[in-house]
Amino acid sequence: MRALWIVLRKELLDAFRDRRMLLVAFVVIPLAIPLVLAGTNALSARKQMQQLEGPLELPVIGAERAPNLVAWLQAHNVRVLPAPRDADAAVRTQEHDVVLRIDEEYGEDWRSGRPASVEVIFDSSRPLASGATVARLGGLLDGYGSTVGTLRLVARGIHPAVANPLQVGTRDVATPEARFDLSQQILPYLLLLLAFIGGMQLAIDATAGERERQSLEPLLATPVARESIISAKILATAVFSLLSIAVTLIAYRLAFAIVPARGVDASFDPEPAGLLQLFLIILPVVLLGATVLTALAAFARSYREAQAYLPLLMFLPMIPSLMLMVAPVRTQLWMLAVPFLGQNQMIVRVLRSERISALDWGVSLGASFAVVAVVWWIAARLYHREQLATSS
Amino acid sequence: MIRVEGLRKSFQTRTGRVQAVDGVSFAAADGQITGLLGPNGAGKTTTLRMLYTLVSPDSGRVLVDGLDAASEPTRVRASLGVLPDARGIYKRLTARENIAYFGALQGLDARLITARTEALIAALDMRDFIDRRAEGFSQGQRTKTAIARALVHAPRNVLLDEPTNGLDVMTTRSLRNFLLEQRAAGRCVLLSSHIMQEVARLCDRIVVIAHGHVVADGTPDELRESTGCANLEDAFVAAIGSDEGLFA
Repeated sequence: MRALWIVLRKELLDAFRDRRMLLVAFVVIPLAIPLVLAGTNALSARKQMQQLEGPLELPVIGAERAPNLVAWLQAHNVRVLPAPRDADAAVRTQEHDVVLRIDEEYGEDWRSGRPASVEVIFDSSRPLASGATVARLGGLLDGYGSTVGTLRLVARGIHPAVANPLQVGTRDVATPEARFDLSQQILPYLLLLLAFIGGMQLAIDATAGERERQSLEPLLATPVARESIISAKILATAVFSLLSIAVTLIAYRLAFAIVPARGVDASFDPEPAGLLQLFLIILPVVLLGATVLTALAAFARSYREAQAYLPLLMFLPMIPSLMLMVAPVRTQLWMLAVPFLGQNQMIVRVLRSERISALDWGVSLGASFAVVAVVWWIAARLYHREQLATSS
Repeated sequence: MIRVEGLRKSFQTRTGRVQAVDGVSFAAADGQITGLLGPNGAGKTTTLRMLYTLVSPDSGRVLVDGLDAASEPTRVRASLGVLPDARGIYKRLTARENIAYFGALQGLDARLITARTEALIAALDMRDFIDRRAEGFSQGQRTKTAIARALVHAPRNVLLDEPTNGLDVMTTRSLRNFLLEQRAAGRCVLLSSHIMQEVARLCDRIVVIAHGHVVADGTPDELRESTGCANLEDAFVAAIGSDEGLFA
């Protein structure tokens, strides 16, 4: 135990004197992640505001055929533009989000009381870019149609309600916290990725680097048990990544204090209790990452070989997040036992301010720590190989 | 006191199995400097590695102060001070911190570490770089730091793998004097070298190794006598069968 503490302290001292490592862990990552998230958030908020409330720029083909409709649209904050030569191409190349075409027979149909045709040209494969604009135009057209329809009914002495047998109301049960989609999809992944491989530099340096710099053999010639050495190196990696994550989370909160997520309402804005829960959730992932990285560094013959495996490791925490993005499923208890998948679900629950039961905690933490123990055992076996220190 | 009996070790390499050590036996007494002399690739490093339990022998055994290295590896390592072939030190720590780290790993308390470090600074002449970070140390400064950290726990047995490798004349001299002090203090000093002048000059007893075998073992006088050669150089060449790799 004493030896473990000594090695742990030395590894941390060593790491904290490595300027490059500090720069990445405590400046680059804490700046990059909040900037990316807050930036995306602010951008998407502005875009949504524009799409919902700014003037809607709408090229109209055949505007002269429906002067009343066009005037009505203009009265509703639509800026009518001249039609492009090829409407389909203009929409496909994103020159315009949406184009309105008024049918050549529009005037005649209108006058004779037949349904007059208008056509909304849009690209459904770009729901994020133009979805809101298309929906807004649809709403305006519906509004115009029903206003005129109502007037026609009244002119014929019929109560407008006759044509509306059904009144549809909707009620959104989402809490403000749950409504913010962006952090729910990106933040769990970023947190898990950071927790899992945030300590990669230290872990690889402490084993593969130590061997490459020829200091592992003297260390192994001391009476200290290899289990103590490897545990200390794993713990040093874990402590380092936890500190980096803590700084990142604080920076994240500060970023959202400066760049408020207006318009898309609540961003991830956890209370201290929520932050603590997040920490507890990712703690086993941090340990798992530190253990896997250390085992990898002990297995690889060189620093470079160890680094070559990193892209593979980056992919691991992505799998459940991707699965959940593509096919969101209802959380079931067994999922909490699966590393990454479980943590992802737990993080989403914290972000949504949902309650996590003691059983959920037990399953998630128990299963993760069991996996950590298995990988630790493998890492310790790898540390006992003769090649560890001799093949350099 | 170190006793080695019938050590064998082979390695699997890409081109096949290599018998690195093939039946090595010798003893290194307390209060003596014993030299393992042999050309590069003779099996010296592998033999030493089996002594400090980094590598386990295929057969044979190692006794350090009567303790079997196979059954009591931790106690054996605690009674050894080892300067391995790999002598990297931590670049972001000062020389003093490097030494203190190993002192702590050997179970010494802070006060004892300070006292021992001071003694080693004096003995190895490390005053002018002891509190500098090891980044940019010369080879001599690195070796001195590595020796100091290996001996900070005042081990009864000292193992040094090619200690003078890459050292300049002055550093070699101070190292030689340091080893003579260790001998005077009653320690068992075992060093390996491929430089016979060095071994001839320093060692009370010489074990000549070639191709994984012990080919000669004795005091310099005994070696001269048994080979019938008047000077040691000829005696070594006669023992090994060639002069390949024996000259610095």
